[in-house]
Amino acid sequence: MKNTERLQVTTPTDREIVMTRVFDAPRRLVFEAWTNPEHLPHWMLGPEGWTMPVCEIDLRPGGAWHFVWRRADGTEMAMSGVYKEVMPPERLVTTEAWGGNWAETINTLTLSEENGKTTITNTILYPSKEARDAAHKTGMMEGASQGFNRLDEYLRTMA
Amino acid sequence: MTELAEPFAMSQPAISKHLKVLERAGLISSGLDAQRRPRRLEAKPLAEATEWLEGYRRFWEGSFQRLDALLDQLKTKRKKRRRTKR
Repeated sequence: MKNTERLQVTTPTDREIVMTRVFDAPRRLVFEAWTNPEHLPHWMLGPEGWTMPVCEIDLRPGGAWHFVWRRADGTEMAMSGVYKEVMPPERLVTTEAWGGNWAETINTLTLSEENGKTTITNTILYPSKEARDAAHKTGMMEGASQGFNRLDEYLRTMA
Repeated sequence: MTELAEPFAMSQPAISKHLKVLERAGLISSGLDAQRRPRRLEAKPLAEATEWLEGYRRFWEGSFQRLDALLDQLKTKRKKRRRTKR
């Protein structure tokens, strides 16, 4: 298989999650796939079983974005934020929140290109360690991960 | 601590420092008896830490595999478009 590029996820500080990944495409295309509502719902779906029926993107500094994911049984997850920096094809900074009292993060995506390959680095910065921990206990765990955990269970029943 | 230090090429003070950090982070706890201070691994916070990171990783791992495929399609489309323009 060609896609042997590995996703690296690290936590360099108490407030950050950093992920890096290499793609076999120029960064212009990666940036487009990441920011164009025509493309995003086809890939930013996590594990199998989710669709993205809502993908609104106002790609300019101060512009808002809103994503909703849905599973066949009707379970939904929503996320939204505001673009802070939009510099195609090298940099995208946005805020991101699940809503409610969950912490808002600042996500910085950088894209660098070498020999037609693009390395992306996405840094998720929490306002504080406490906010990060809370998000992972209540937000991520009950939001995203819970959805995925349920999906895991579901997949197990199918096996 | 002597026992814990044994497998490592590290001085006792260095080991002691590492243990203190782990203890402060709640990842180990230490008991107390007359001669020894046995350390206990606190598995729960470690499991919690890897669990949320794992959920996170799974989301992006799955997404990025799809993105690989989409990027291949986009590259092919561009090439075709360039060819038809000529």
